[in-house]
This record gives sequence, C-alpha cells and structure tokens, in this order.
Amino acid sequence: MLSRDRLLRGALALPTVAYVVAFFIVPLVVIVVYSFARVSLVTFNISFDWNLDNYRRIHDPLYFDTLVRSVVLSVGATFGCLLLGFPLAYFISRQPRAWQRVLLVFVIVPFWTSFIVRTYATVNLLEEHGPLADLLRALHLISGPLTVLYTPRAVAIGIIYSYLPLMVLPIYVALERIDDELLAAAADLGASPQRVFRRVTLPLALPGVAVGCVIVGIPAMGEYVIPEILGGGKTLMLGNVITDQFLTVGDIPFGSAIAVVLMALMAVVLIATRRFTRVEAG
Amino acid sequence: MNDLDHDTIRIALSRRQLLRRGAQLGAGLPAAAWLLAACGGSSSSGSSAATTGGGPPPASAVKGTAVLQNYSGWMGKHNIPDFEAKYPGASIKQVSTGAISSSATAQVLKNNPGAFDFALGDLAFVGQALAAGIMQDADFSAIPNIKNVDEKFRKAFSHSVPSDYGKVGIGYRKDMVSEPISSWADVWQLAPKYSGKIVFLDYDRDCLGSALRYKGYSGNTTDPDQINAGKQALIDIKPHLLAIKAYDVASSLVKGDAAIVMDWDYDVALGQGQDSNIEWVLPEEGAMAYLEGWNVIKDTKHLDVVNAFLNFFLEPKQYADFVNTTGTAYVMAAATPYIDKSISSNKALIVDPATLSNVEFENFLGEATALYTQAWDEFKSA
Repeated sequence: MLSRDRLLRGALALPTVAYVVAFFIVPLVVIVVYSFARVSLVTFNISFDWNLDNYRRIHDPLYFDTLVRSVVLSVGATFGCLLLGFPLAYFISRQPRAWQRVLLVFVIVPFWTSFIVRTYATVNLLEEHGPLADLLRALHLISGPLTVLYTPRAVAIGIIYSYLPLMVLPIYVALERIDDELLAAAADLGASPQRVFRRVTLPLALPGVAVGCVIVGIPAMGEYVIPEILGGGKTLMLGNVITDQFLTVGDIPFGSAIAVVLMALMAVVLIATRRFTRVEAG
Repeated sequence: MNDLDHDTIRIALSRRQLLRRGAQLGAGLPAAAWLLAACGGSSSSGSSAATTGGGPPPASAVKGTAVLQNYSGWMGKHNIPDFEAKYPGASIKQVSTGAISSSATAQVLKNNPGAFDFALGDLAFVGQALAAGIMQDADFSAIPNIKNVDEKFRKAFSHSVPSDYGKVGIGYRKDMVSEPISSWADVWQLAPKYSGKIVFLDYDRDCLGSALRYKGYSGNTTDPDQINAGKQALIDIKPHLLAIKAYDVASSLVKGDAAIVMDWDYDVALGQGQDSNIEWVLPEEGAMAYLEGWNVIKDTKHLDVVNAFLNFFLEPKQYADFVNTTGTAYVMAAATPYIDKSISSNKALIVDPATLSNVEFENFLGEATALYTQAWDEFKSA
C-alpha cells in the first residue's frame, strides 16, 4: 500500500520533474559544457577541447569592470528596494486584515502589466519633458532640464520600481506572522516601542528581508532590459555582455562562460543567505 | 499625411527596432529562436527539382513551402499573398529567429540545417554564411528579373538578390542647431555645444564605422590601430551623448529631446514626415551602409519555390509594395513609378548615383569582427 502511494506521488511529480530536467537542468549542462568550448567566428565550427580560455577572458578589465558595475548597481538597487519596501511592508502588516488585502493588491498591480511596457512607461515618466520633470518644475525643485533618463540613476530607479513588490511581499509575510502577544509581552516588560521594534520585530522579520534581498538582488545582477532601455545603452552590465555574445557576436562559448560565472556568484549569495537565515533562526 | 504614410511609419519602425526589442525580452530568447527555427523546418512535400537554368519554371510546376528567415514585418503587405495566388502549389513561411546581427543569424542557420530555404542578410552575413558553408550563390538564370535591380547593387551583392539598403547619416533639427551640418567632423565639433542632445546608433558596425569615416579611415578596416582610433573618437564624444539607441532614434529628434542624431536614412525620413524641421545629411566623409537581400541556403529542397518567389519579388510592382510597406531606401529605380511619393521624392531614400558614390557598404571582416566587438564593448563600458 505504501509503495503504491509512493508510486502515485512519484507519478504526480513526474511532469514537473520532466519539465525541470528538460528546460532547466539540460540547458544548464549545455551552457556549462559550451563554456569550455571554442568557436571560430568565421566558420562557427565549435571545438569541445575543454579549455579555460573563456574563463581567463573574464579577467579582462573590460569584463571585470562590467561585473563590478553589475554587482554595485544590483546591491544599490536591492538596498533601495529594502529602504522603501520595509516601511511599506511594516505599514501594511499593521493595518486591519481587510485593508491589508486592499493594500497588497496595490502592491501587486504593477505585475498586471508587461515588464517591458512598464519599463518603457518609465522612459516617458523620466523624460526631460515628461510629467515628473513638469511636477518638479512646478514645485520649484528644479529649474533646468531633468537629466535623469539615460543615466545609471535611471537604471537604479527602474530596477527599484520593477522589483519593489518582490521585496515588499516576503517582508510583509514575515511581519504578518509575528504574534502580537510577543510585542505586547515586550511592552509589558518595559521595552519602549523603538526597543520592541529593534529587539523583537526586526529579528523576526530578517528571514523575510533575506528572501526579499535574494529575489531582488539576483535577477537585478543579470538585468539587461532596464540598462538597455533606461540607461540609453550607456550603462553596460553583465547581462548586456551575455546578450551581445549570444545574439550579436555569436560567441556562444564565451557568453556561456560569463553566464556560468554569474550563476556561480548567485549561488554563493544564495548559500550565504541561507546560512545567515539559519543562524538568525536559531 | 495620408493613412498609407502612417502605416509606412508604423511598419518601418518595426524593422531593426523590434528585433532589438525582441532581444530584450529574455535570456531564453536564443534557445527560443532556435526552437522556432527548428519548428519552422520546410515542408518536405514540395518539389525538390532544382531549376537548372533557362528561366523560371511554369507556375504549376512550383510546389512546396519555402521557409524564409526574415525580420519581423520586413515584407510587402501583398508580396506573399500575391505570390501564393500566382503559384497555387507554393507558399512562403516566414520565421524570425530573433538574432540581431549577421553573425548570430548565420550561426542560427548553421545550427539548424534544413530548417530554412532562404534568409534575409546583409553583405556581412553573406561573407559569414559563405565562410561557414551555409549558403549558395543564387541561380540568376532562374531569376531573370534581377535585371531590374540597379547595377551598383547587383555588383555589390553578387551572390544573392539585393532587397534594400540603409545609409548611416546625420539627422538634426534646424530649429535647435543654428550651425549648418555637413560632416561627421561638424558633429564631433559641435558636440560640446549640444552636449546631452546627441543620440548615436547602438550598432557596432554602423556607429564605429561612422567614427572610422570621421577619422578618415574605411569603415571596413581591419587595422587594429585604426579601429582603436575610431573607438577613441567614440569615447571622446560619449560624455556628450544623451543615449546610444537602437530604436526610436528619430523620435528623439521629433520630440526635441535630441538636436543631432546618427541614424539610418529611413528612420530620419520617417521623422521628417512628422516634423519638417528635421534635416537629413549624408556626411562629407562618406556614409556607412548595410546592403541586404535574400540569400539562398545551401542544399535547400525548395529551390524552385525560392527562385520563383525571388523572381516574383523583383517585378517592379511587387518590389514597390515591399518598399511602400517598409519605407526603406530602395535598390530598383525601375520601381519608382509605383513607389509612394513620400518615399520616392525623399532625398534620403532615392536611388541617386551621386549619393551612392559616397556610400561604403559594410562587408564581412572575418576574424577582425572580434576587434570591432572588443572596441565596441570598451566604448559602451567607458
């Protein structure tokens, strides 16, 4: 009977497992294998001689600087999301249940529109003659043109705007799970509201913060649509280099090597985050 | 502006720009493109008898489905329906792979043997495809209408059927720029004055090639020092650039966000249709240009269909439909009577010997392609 249940469970999982293997594991293995290959950019003949040349090329200052720029921008954008997302999640979690649902819908609303459309909409918003510029001029906060679009600041704004809901939701879940009696007990024991927040709320919210940082920071690191559209093609990030190698140059082995390095970096971040959250959990 | 003109603008804007946007949709696109190509494998039910010369075969003898790798929307509105009406047993299936360069397109074709019968590609693609052994010379005895194409284009695109070309020149707003502009040197000289109001193209061969012309070199040079000089010129002007864009370049002029742009002729022409203050300049140092056309894939099983379509496409009225739909600069003066006045009277788009004498087509550079890529990435990263 037990083995039949196991078989049934296995059969239920089979489609998902097959899907993941076909569309994640196999492509991943192909990319890793290609990263050790060599391609002739004239004939496109690929030789699989397991060399490390593609990985050595990443040490070129051009690509290394791009990697650093990607890390700095993604860390900055993640921090920005955290700075804006935590207070918002905290505010929502302190509202009556019905209001929480309404406010969460507002957080999720941007996801109802295509990511590309939202990013192009941001272009219109940040334009020199756009509504934001008009508003800032009306408030006498700027007098000249608004020079944000097509700069790294625009890229950061775009990433924060696009990824903010991904930061808010896990933090909200962590905050919402905090038992009110814990907060009441801390207050009864003489802790000030600030101390309650620092010693009770914040530590219990940290797993949510960690998850938020991971799901914002990791895709932001490989981001290339936002730099292309909002950066005006002037802010080269690692995602753009990978795209160029695959879609423009045709150097699939080198593009694969950069992708593998990026994935390795993300894996390190994931493992570190997991350890951090375990330690915090006790 | 009439409805047709509006349509022309909308569709022509979709050419390289939509390709570029398509490339932004996700990292999985190359795989998706290859899957698409694989799914687009040509029908095996058609005739495999190759035309051996002596003109096109009778319509009733042309059977099967030929698969064309093409940019999205880069075909006349009526070209394929009219062809299929004239050749009831034949059809054309268009597939866009999402590859955004000659190299990447050639690689997609190389990795998917049998998936395509012919492909749109420029001179750089032709060189690459010949080197990679994935295309064959067109059999012009089966495409007698090739005679309708102007000689310069036929000679330059001798392996295949040229369809169109695009010059990289200067667009500027007369109401924002007080000085006359006639050269790339003017653009570089005026850059500090119009800092933050200049947009350049986001294509390495077009942009770096134009910088090389500015420095007095060929845009097809393979000399590393000259390529470096071109790159340095771009790095020098970069602080003054508002953006480096692959799309909406002319719209930056129309909106007034940019005063000067490096742009393709057809895009500036579209901008001129919306704002008469926009001026097109063919730079004195010479303009780089892509010249592209339909290339026959090696060992295609539907050569009869491909040849019949190419011959049909080169009938002046059919070719005019292609030009009217896409708004491109054209390669067949014989089609001028059928081409919309808004295109045929635009000096950026007409077939003009004086203009063509100052145009350099972008060729395949072999291993030197990597030098351009490296220089381009350094410019983008600077």
